[in-house]
This record gives sequence, structure tokens and C-alpha cells, in this order.
Amino acid sequence: MNSRAPCPGFSVPPAPRGGLVGELALIAAGLVLLSFVIRIHWMADFAVFFILVLSFDLLYGYMGHLSFGHMLYFGAGAYGAALWLVYGNASALLALGVGIAAAAGMAAILGGIVLRTHGASFALINMAFNEIGHFLVQSPLAAYTLGEDGLSCTADPLFGFISLYEDRWAFAFSAAVLLAVFALLRVLTRSPFGLLVRSIRENESRVQFLGYDTFRFKWITFVIASTIAALAGALFTLIQGFVSPRVISPFGNVDVIFAVLIGGAGYLGGALIGAAVFLAIKNFLPVMIPELSRWLEVKLPQWELWLGIVLLVIVFSLRGGIVGTLRARLRKPRAVEAGA
Amino acid sequence: MIQTVVYGLTIGAILYFFSVGLALTFGTMHIINFAHGMVYTLGVYLFITFLQAFGQSFPAALAASLLAMLPVAWVIERFVIRRLYGESLDYAIIATYGVLLIGTDAIKMVWGTTPYPVNDPIGVAVPLAGMDLPLYRIAIVLSAFALYVALRAFFRRSLVGRVVVAALEDADGVRCLGIDVNRHFSIVFVLGSALAVLGGILYAPISTADPYMGFHILLLAFAVVIVGGMGNLNGTFLAALALGMVMAVTGRYWSQAANAMVFAVMALVILLRPREAH
Repeated sequence: MNSRAPCPGFSVPPAPRGGLVGELALIAAGLVLLSFVIRIHWMADFAVFFILVLSFDLLYGYMGHLSFGHMLYFGAGAYGAALWLVYGNASALLALGVGIAAAAGMAAILGGIVLRTHGASFALINMAFNEIGHFLVQSPLAAYTLGEDGLSCTADPLFGFISLYEDRWAFAFSAAVLLAVFALLRVLTRSPFGLLVRSIRENESRVQFLGYDTFRFKWITFVIASTIAALAGALFTLIQGFVSPRVISPFGNVDVIFAVLIGGAGYLGGALIGAAVFLAIKNFLPVMIPELSRWLEVKLPQWELWLGIVLLVIVFSLRGGIVGTLRARLRKPRAVEAGA
Repeated sequence: MIQTVVYGLTIGAILYFFSVGLALTFGTMHIINFAHGMVYTLGVYLFITFLQAFGQSFPAALAASLLAMLPVAWVIERFVIRRLYGESLDYAIIATYGVLLIGTDAIKMVWGTTPYPVNDPIGVAVPLAGMDLPLYRIAIVLSAFALYVALRAFFRRSLVGRVVVAALEDADGVRCLGIDVNRHFSIVFVLGSALAVLGGILYAPISTADPYMGFHILLLAFAVVIVGGMGNLNGTFLAALALGMVMAVTGRYWSQAANAMVFAVMALVILLRPREAH
């Protein structure tokens, strides 16, 4: 059944060197440093993307299930929160809860369906549901979502004083959520449960032979990953005060997949680094290229072409992404289990 | 009603032209080939350029763009697809998606992002049951049926076709007979790419060319390949026509829902299929 070739870089990560607290401190320091480099206005958006990429890493990097429909749950979280703010009340916490609960319920139902497939079918059936969700928001539910025009919403300050429309508060709050998500995923992936999930990625049949009901573990992981994506989506709504069908568009999946791959699938730190590199490619290349081409007096291609080249380089010579490759280099003597 | 049927068959015919290559690549090499969308788009843009160069002669431009795309397809096969053989599904998806991104951006650089309209090369409408049906659409449907018959003959009678059919079943077995399977795969890959280009060119007069046209048809063709059974050529033909009809019928009553309905059908088929093609 599981005939896919073993993937180099897809190995069980070795035991940690630093503790979780050290890692969290490192991420926090990295975020603060980043906020000096770029405008703080962008930092909350970046943090939201980091959370989304982390959630996808659980599904793809750790469990080995490539989905082309992860944005469905991000979008459900975003729209759930926005619809609550518009038609319910202005409580930010309730909106967050409603968005997450709505998407988690969807993931619980759809997970039971999509997880009956593997490989290419899994990737594409998720894309199909994402496409349907995008359509629902755009057209049949347009009476509530206002379709392409998008939905504006305002929330009261969190706990009475954290106004998420202020850049500093938005950054601080989303960074705190990011750290919490990272800690949760770190504990989860290092637990026996996490080991089982990674074993499913390596060889599901063998895990079944050991007597485990793999479907149940896949379903739980799928729901967790989707719920965290929804958390990112709801957070996005609270920070932006606006949602449009773009948040649920299937094209967004590509960004998430690439971010995970650039950094290194199956490493939480890799997901963060990959997300940062991807955001750099996506946000700074379109600004830099016109200037560079004016300076060189040649017409240069846009960022998509460079991203395409990065992807080919990753596939053909940088398997395992940035983190996976570095790990293999640094630990060459004992990298036998990496199988590279 | 007849109009809806003809429209559905036209969309189905174009989907068939496009999906054959996708189904073959999946069946032979287990690769989901996103680069197929890039070949399709580039072929149409070359066709538009040749059309202007050859004084609007449809057949000459068609032949020229097909010829021009053969080496492009060969390069993609030789330097990307073949290196992915036997790799995990994910890396193949990502590498071919990279090719699609590079191609789309290059097209935007050369031809810009404004859509190009193309004239109907026949421009005659046949009155049928009180309606005017463009003869061109009927020609497209007929050519899809002709292609189906031709491909059937190719895979049953020609040596290359028979090797590929055998390799679809068991590539290692064919290799053990001392046959260079990769060479045959690459012939079939170029053939599939040429058919996608042909489909794109045939579709151009009843749509417009834009740099993202390849993305859109790719998503629909995935549905065709899944519904038809990956690597199953008869299934691809039937699924293409059936999903074309689904689009036309849905579009008649609710035009925005046409695409979503295709994906709903696809999800249903994946669920109802007893054993999935892995």
C-alpha cells in the first residue's frame, strides 16, 4: 500500500540539545530582531503566517500527508471570527473561539472523509473541498459574507485593553500566540503520540501491524493541524478587521507548502525559518527587482520565477530544506539514520 | 438543450486533449505533472505569435507552434521529470510546480498579462433545432473522438504504444525484458504535451489566452484524471466528457457553481471508489 520511496531528510529528528524554554527565547529574540528590520506593521501578519506554516508542518512534515487544501481551515477560522463579529457581538475572545470551533468541527467531519485516501488523492481531495469552500464563501453565502467585496468587522479590545488594531499590541499578542503554538507542537511531536505520527509517515502498514488504529491517530492529527490553522485565520481577522475570499483561496496553499519545504519539512524550527525566507522572497523581491532592473538597465523577471528556481534547487540539491541540510552537514558522523 | 450538450462536449473534448498527457505521466511515472499547464499556456501564446507572423493562417500557425513546443517538452522531460522518477510524490509536485511558476512568469514577461482574443477560424454556424451552433465547436468535439480512436490504435498496434501499456501495468517487468522504458516514457511525454498544446490552441478561439489559463485547466484536469482512474486512458476519455457535461449543465443554471460542481463530483468519486489507485 505504501509504495512511496523513502524521502531523505524525512528522518526522526534526534533528541533535543537545548530545552524548550531556550527555543522559545530564541524565537522571541528572532521576532524582536526582525521587528527592528522591517516595519512593525507587518510583524503581526508574519506571525500569523508562521502559525499557519507550523500547523501545516504537523500535517505534512510530521505525518507525511501533503494537502492542497489547508487554507480551507485558515479561511474557515477567519470567516468564522468575522461572521461572529458582524452578526454576533464584538468580543474578540468569543470571535476567536467561534472561528476555531467552526473550523475544528469542519475538520472533524471532513477529516473522516479525506483521510480515507492517501498520496495524490489525499492532496487533491483536500484541494476539491477547499475549492468548494472558496465557492461557498464567494457565491451562495454572499448574503452573509458579501462575496468578493469582503467583510469588514471590528472587535472590542481584548481583555479590555489590548487593542489589536494597534501595531505593537497586535505584534505582541500574535507573537505570544505563536510561542504558545510552538510550545504545544514541540511537546506534542516529542510525545509518544508524536512518535506514532512520525511512524505513520515512515510506514503506515507497519504501525497497523503493531496493532494501532492508525486512522484514529491520523484523524486526531488532522483535526489538531486544522484547528491551529483556524487559530491563525481567526487571529488574522482580529488583526486586519477585514476578510475577503482571498483568505480561503486554494492558491494560498502553495505558499504554505513552499514555506515548509524551504525550511525543512518535519522540523518545527525549519518551518519558521522557511516561512521567514518565503516571506522575504515574496515581499522583498517584488520591491527589489524593479530597482535592480533599473540599476542594471535590464528587464528582470518577477518574484514567481525566482521562487520557481528556488523550488527546483530544493528538490534537486537541497533535500530536507535549510534546516534538514544543515543538520545533515553538522552531524555527518552520526547521520546514518538520516539515510541521505 | 442541444446547445448545452454541445457546449459540454466541447469543454469535455478540450479537457480530454489536456488530460491524456497528465494521465499518462501519472500512470507511467507516478508524477503529478504541474508543468503540463505551462506547456499548454506557452503553446497557445506561441500560436498567437505565429498567427500574426503567418498572416492569420490557422493551420500554419498550429503546425509551427506544435513543432516549436516539441523541444520544450523534451527538455522538461529530460531535465526535470526523468530526474524525479521513483521519487516521492511530493517532490515531483513541487519541482513541476516550480517549472509552472517559471514558465508563467516568463510568459508574463514576454507577452504581458492582458488577455488575447483569437478569432474563430471557421466562423460558420449551423442551424440545428432552431439554434445556431458554431461549426467550430462541433469540429472540436469530432476531433476529440478522432483522437480517442487514434490513441486506441496507437496503444494497441504500435510497438511504442504497446510497450507503454505494458509499462503502465508493470514498469519493472518491461525493464526486465531489456526494453529501455525511459525512452518510451519520454516519447509518450512529448506526445502528451503536444496534445495539450493542440487542445489549448483549439480552445483559444472560444476563450481568451491569459498567462494563468494553465492553472485553471490543471485543476479541472486533476478532477478528470482522478475520476477516470489515474493512468486509465478509456476512463480519462469518459471522465473528460462527463465532467464537461457537468460543467455545462451546472453553468446553464448557475454559472458560478460550474467549477465547484466538478470538484464535488470528484470528491464523491474518490469516496465511492472501493479501492483507490495509489
